[in-house]
Amino acid sequence: MSIHASISDLVDDRPGDQAFHVARRAFTDPLILDLELSHIFESAWSFVGLTTQIPKPHDYITTFIGRQPILLMRDGQGHVGCFLNTCRHRATIVCPFKRGRQKFHVCRYHGWAYDSAGKNTIVTEMDDGQYPPSFKDADRNLLRVARFENYRGLLFASLSADVPPLSDYLGDAKAFIDLVADQSPVGELEFVPGEITYTFDANWKLQFENGLDYYHFNSTHASYVDILNQRAKSGTSGPLPQEAPDETEGQGSFSFDHGHAVNWSIKRQSRYGRPLVTDPAYLAELKVRVGETRIKWMLRQRNLTIFPNLQIIDISSAQLRTWRPLAVDKTEMTSHCLAPVGESAEARRVRIRNYEDFFNPSGLATSDDNVMYEFCQTGYEARAGNTFGHLRGLANGPISSSGHAQELGISPVESAFGKPAFGGETNFHPGYREWRRLLQRHVDGGADA
Amino acid sequence: MLERMSPDLAQRKQAAVTILFLEARYLDDKEWDSWAELYEPDAEYWAPSWLDEYDTADDPNTQVSFIYHDSRSQLQERISRIQSRKSITALPLPRTLHMISNITTSEEEDGLVVARSNWTTHIFDPRVQKQYLHFGTYEHVLKPSDGRLRIARKKIIIMNDRIPSILDFYSI
Ligand code: FES
Ligand SMILES: [Fe+2]
Repeated sequence: MSIHASISDLVDDRPGDQAFHVARRAFTDPLILDLELSHIFESAWSFVGLTTQIPKPHDYITTFIGRQPILLMRDGQGHVGCFLNTCRHRATIVCPFKRGRQKFHVCRYHGWAYDSAGKNTIVTEMDDGQYPPSFKDADRNLLRVARFENYRGLLFASLSADVPPLSDYLGDAKAFIDLVADQSPVGELEFVPGEITYTFDANWKLQFENGLDYYHFNSTHASYVDILNQRAKSGTSGPLPQEAPDETEGQGSFSFDHGHAVNWSIKRQSRYGRPLVTDPAYLAELKVRVGETRIKWMLRQRNLTIFPNLQIIDISSAQLRTWRPLAVDKTEMTSHCLAPVGESAEARRVRIRNYEDFFNPSGLATSDDNVMYEFCQTGYEARAGNTFGHLRGLANGPISSSGHAQELGISPVESAFGKPAFGGETNFHPGYREWRRLLQRHVDGGADA
Repeated sequence: MLERMSPDLAQRKQAAVTILFLEARYLDDKEWDSWAELYEPDAEYWAPSWLDEYDTADDPNTQVSFIYHDSRSQLQERISRIQSRKSITALPLPRTLHMISNITTSEEEDGLVVARSNWTTHIFDPRVQKQYLHFGTYEHVLKPSDGRLRIARKKIIIMNDRIPSILDFYSI
């Protein structure tokens, strides 16, 4: 069997037959992870940071795209550049710190220096180095990523030039970034200081799926649901947002090109409070600015996934999380509390408490998810038989247009909507189609070469 | 130079050390209710995040913490969650072993005793047959109440803050 055939076999996608299956091997085969790293993570747009993380000249942060070390710097003129964090002399990491402010980065190995625009300013002992003449004219600056763009202060980079413009890549998923950013009086987002890093011993796609999975909530998070009910009973929940009586309760999703999707739900009364609701005066002001419809959507829980590794969860608080695979069965998560710049001190306090309550390995919900991923990983090693994990919603759809999309002024590729307990799974499909397309594109390209 | 302590003060310092060890024992023995009883009803329980390589968060209202609670009832919420047999993180519960050392105490106003210590928790998770450990420092502020000392404030610095899957009150 050719590699090509084996990749296409991993996703059994037959809309005409209402069939969709993902092979168990997609979660367990290290060879597949290698392909994913090269041809998805290191070839697609990747979220690398917020402009507000590096507000001043010479501010920097470091991160990774797939396996590759990345350095983001704001130069003396205020321009943000995104570079591979590797010395042009002999590959050493140029900046070993997470974040800071420096005009120059000096490689500690032999002392080459780079300025905050990435320009190589010093080659130590250059004149005595007996370098060939070609070296003197060579471009020795830090290597820039192939593509680097910004949407609403979210910085994305791609190590491959073969990607659409960021705006096209994000498509109508942008509307759901706007719904978070527009909660700020100045339209900007920031991270609350304090980044949390954790790992789980399972494949990264379990996180990808879980962020789009409302079906698991009552079961996986049963202990958390009890706590929420207990808080509501004892009156310690704080104000809970409510939907207008003419809204039909339910759970829905939109899917976009390039594998992005968003889940949302309409509940008569939300289970959790919202930072926005703690500040009625600002909420009223915001309603005038953005309109009733968008306020309504801002207060609905929305779980956005930008393929392949960014999720923005706006529920009782907002979380921005990214991941990178360390092995086929080990994933490193980076989690931030995401906040509108300029919210009130009380809204910020509530946001932080709600974030800690739900998210992270220390939160009362995410910790259960992490354990579930590990149980799934062990279970995926069983090889006989399909899983039936991607079928909810296939009988009725997905539908191509909906009133919900219309009121937001977006045209998703697919929409789904059902009863509150719907827990649709068709919203995973576009991600898997993009996954298969990127892996196959490589194999096709490789075969031609 | 050795400081001369009043018998009363010496007793309070000894009581502080006893509470630290008792707390560790209750956690490892999973005697959660007794553990929570060591805390004042309005106790602050705080495990801050790290802001960078050197500094931990110093303001829970503007920075992220791993865990921040400002009442005993919030600790009891965590206890009820893992006792409910509905949280998979507790099915089964990891085995833990706390070690505390390098304790120093100082006396503050109003009879408060501040105890600083180093801690290690060895954790074995029978679910996945894996072991790991967390380590860091504690700062306990202990307050005389009903003829005994209770924990009014506990700050937990977690030095290895890249967390494998779960972090709860019993693992730090
Ligand atoms: S590797 Fe950086 S100066 Fe030699
Ligand atoms: Fe979950």
